[in-house]
Amino acid sequence: MNKLGKRLLDDLDQEIREHIELATQENIDRGMAPEEARYAAMRKFGNVTRVKEDAREVWTLVWVEQFVQDIRFALRQLRKSTAFTAIAILTLALGIGANTAIFSAANALLLNPYPFPQPNRIVSLEARHISGKNGGTGFRDFLDWRKQNAVFEDMAILPWTGAYSWTGQGEPRRVVGGSTTAGFLRVLGIQPVIGRWFTPDEDTPGGPQVAVLSYPAWRRLFGGSDEILGRSITLDGRSFTIIGVLSSRFSFPGMQNCDFFTPLQENPLQGRYQHQYAVVARMKPGIPLARAQSEMMTIARRLEEEYPETNKGWGISVLPISRALAEHTRAPLTVLFSAVGFVLLLTCVNLASLLLARASARTQEMALRASLGATRRRIVCQLLTESVLLSVTGGAAGLLVAQWLIGVLRAAAPEDMGLDASFHLDPLVLVFALIVSLVTGVCFGLIPALYASRSNLSAPLKGDWKSWFGAASRTRLHSLLVAGEMALSLVLLAAAGLVVKDLIVVLHMNTGLRVDHVLTFYLDPPNGRYQTPQRSHALYDQLQASLKRAPGIDAVATVDTLPMTGGMTGGSFEIDGRPKPADWVDTLVQYNSASPGYFRAMGIPVLLGRDFDEQDAPASMPVAIINDTLARQFFPNEDPLGHTFKDDYDGSHRTIIGVVGSIKNQQPMRPPIPSVYAPYTQKGTGGMWLTVRTSGDPIKVASLARSTVRSIEPDILVLKMRTMRQVVSESLNQQFLVTTLLGSFAVFALLLAIIGVYGITAYSVSQRVHEMGIRMAMGASRRDIFLLVLRRGIVLALSGVAVGIPLALVISQLLRSMLYGISSRDLTVFLGVPVLLVGVAVLASCIPARRASRVDPIAALRYE
Amino acid sequence: MTVHLDILGEEFLASPRMSTREETERLELLQGTLDLLILRTLQWGPAHGHAIAKAIEFKSDDVLQVEQGSLYPALHRLIKRRWISAQDGTSENNRKAKFYSLTTKGRRQLAVETGKWDRLAGAIARILRPTEERK
Repeated sequence: MNKLGKRLLDDLDQEIREHIELATQENIDRGMAPEEARYAAMRKFGNVTRVKEDAREVWTLVWVEQFVQDIRFALRQLRKSTAFTAIAILTLALGIGANTAIFSAANALLLNPYPFPQPNRIVSLEARHISGKNGGTGFRDFLDWRKQNAVFEDMAILPWTGAYSWTGQGEPRRVVGGSTTAGFLRVLGIQPVIGRWFTPDEDTPGGPQVAVLSYPAWRRLFGGSDEILGRSITLDGRSFTIIGVLSSRFSFPGMQNCDFFTPLQENPLQGRYQHQYAVVARMKPGIPLARAQSEMMTIARRLEEEYPETNKGWGISVLPISRALAEHTRAPLTVLFSAVGFVLLLTCVNLASLLLARASARTQEMALRASLGATRRRIVCQLLTESVLLSVTGGAAGLLVAQWLIGVLRAAAPEDMGLDASFHLDPLVLVFALIVSLVTGVCFGLIPALYASRSNLSAPLKGDWKSWFGAASRTRLHSLLVAGEMALSLVLLAAAGLVVKDLIVVLHMNTGLRVDHVLTFYLDPPNGRYQTPQRSHALYDQLQASLKRAPGIDAVATVDTLPMTGGMTGGSFEIDGRPKPADWVDTLVQYNSASPGYFRAMGIPVLLGRDFDEQDAPASMPVAIINDTLARQFFPNEDPLGHTFKDDYDGSHRTIIGVVGSIKNQQPMRPPIPSVYAPYTQKGTGGMWLTVRTSGDPIKVASLARSTVRSIEPDILVLKMRTMRQVVSESLNQQFLVTTLLGSFAVFALLLAIIGVYGITAYSVSQRVHEMGIRMAMGASRRDIFLLVLRRGIVLALSGVAVGIPLALVISQLLRSMLYGISSRDLTVFLGVPVLLVGVAVLASCIPARRASRVDPIAALRYE
Repeated sequence: MTVHLDILGEEFLASPRMSTREETERLELLQGTLDLLILRTLQWGPAHGHAIAKAIEFKSDDVLQVEQGSLYPALHRLIKRRWISAQDGTSENNRKAKFYSLTTKGRRQLAVETGKWDRLAGAIARILRPTEERK
């Protein structure tokens, strides 16, 4: 509107008045009585308000003005009812934010995040035994697979990562490197951003020591220097030449921390009994997965025939890479997805009930507006603006919450879950959640408008809107919503309760070894100096001896694979002198090497025979100790002591000298694996775990242990120092994450349910104030009123619980595969959660009940 | 014969009300007719709102009765288009009033609009009374 228009409109008031004055005067001159004259003049003029509005519309862009007006009005209304607005926005923010974050995480994990061209063409090839076991692939098998197939563009071995000591710039630094085959980048479909990848010629035994850096390593260790190609670095005492740098977009689950890659240079003539490598491949364009699978099975059969001793029973399973990696996270992710759906539903229900309560309060306002001439369209527009404003604000807040939550998830997730730096908010999910809440907000926010268009406006104008048609059904709808909220919350709470209880049970499960008073850490001596087994053994002997002398330390031992870390060195177990039956099924057995005193230090009972001791030296008879799982499997009715078997790794024939108790290798709830222990003096070396039994708190000994080790060999890397108890709980990292997430959802649901119950009780109280007054006047005591209101809350809670319990029982079946320590119908949870919910609802109803009982009857009676 | 004249307004403007004294038929005229009448009235000299209303009634022999309030939005519309202008002045009985007068543009527009109206009226007349005498 311009200045001229504004001025004219300002003057219009007076102009109209003058006009009517003139007309009145004329009428009086014509002989009418003054009153009649004025009345006639006004009638001749018409509707003054309308004239003014029409004049106004000449000067403004009507819809823009209306829109701005609506927004300002909406803002004012929302500000007036701060409690409602705050709760609504909070509900939306948490609901949308939490959902978006979790959904993005699940999306990132299950549905493909890989920054490679056509990532759905990349598959993982797993060797699957018909007994159900699956494992890695041997190098020779890999070579045959690669040579014989016609369906893959290329095949490669997933980088075999390990820690290296990088010297050459002051203190030795720990870096992580991966060895892989030349075809790796071709499988991924990417190129290095600087330089090149290694060629197949370089990937042969005795080939050159070359390395390709990862982008973050290039920046971190070399400052992103341009003079990078051709530089040499010293890793574990060996010199490598840098020939390339990978792009910053390279990211592969499990390989986020890999600083560099070197050619595997694996011996192509080794035995076929190894199963240590993971294989990936890229399908040729146009080849369907089924065809790749059948082709590989054909190759597997061919190999089975050619090499029956090693390949019998081994098939190949071809899986899309995303599924292969997420296999073990499938069940928890499904649960989380469902929880996400629930929470979104709950958010919408809560929003709906809030709006519904508010709608009733505003019917009077709407009736007034309608009677003043507002068209239905205007009222709807205005309410729409309000709802949209609310939803959009809630959505914006939700975006902030989501970003924050994603940061938290990124930091807290275990490494192998794949939630790395490239994990970000999924905009699609955010938009979806926003749309859902928008629709809810709009639908329920428009309810007052429905009533504004009815013809009989006199009742609401008088304030008697209780008797209006629709009030009763509205209350019923509201009650239904809140009961529904309670049911949903119950389901989530039950699920969370089950998962939490299960985790606690699992944490305390028997692991087969001593968990308290044990400190563990990994030692990685610099390869260059300890190339021979003798030197390596001497080092470990020295370390163990001096540690044992230290105060607070009772026993020291070494082992190559620490229990509960998931490390697996699998091999086959062939007893000498026993012909293999026709239906022989190869069982994977865990191979370990340990020092004398290991079992005692770890609290593992020696059931038969003896532990290793000094007589088990490199030159003496090769011996081994088995665990009782293996004993029961391979020697069910006889004494295993004295039997010999062929060691799958070094080919020697070892005599069994003892049987020890079985321990859990991976997680407390997974069954123990048959295992073989050889004395570490009779085995090769490299990095070893040290286990230290302490008399007091293991943590107190940590720095002493570290300095003792350093004093003997300063260049050794001391890694992952933890107590055994920490190791156990870290093995359950994924479970912790899922439990935390589910628990947060449940808490949120509980909060919403409380708000819902409180809201509806408070609201119903405010509606029945008049009735309370009458009751009190008729003799009801304060206590009676209190109980009356409380009863409503209880009834709501009970009905919600009644619906929720069967629903929860059904849904908890989804969790069955995730629960190891308790049943999915655990009584404690299914009794405790409903009690909790009802209790909380009662508490929530107490406040309005108390307020109702405190009301002054006289004021209540006067209240309309 | 007196007829009711209902002038159709555009969608977002209210319809100015014009009617005759008796309630018989309703004749719907195109929008802008009121504007035309105002312009014509002002051709005889500046006038304030009330005077314009009286003039229209008078000049049409009381056939056209303007709902006087609807004049004002029309006047504003004309001002916005710069066909008329407004000045503050004093009315007959020494009261403050706004006087409206034609601008040059308005004068020109009046000729154009009158021509349009004549053509329209002629066309309608030809359709209604094809063989009878036309005015």
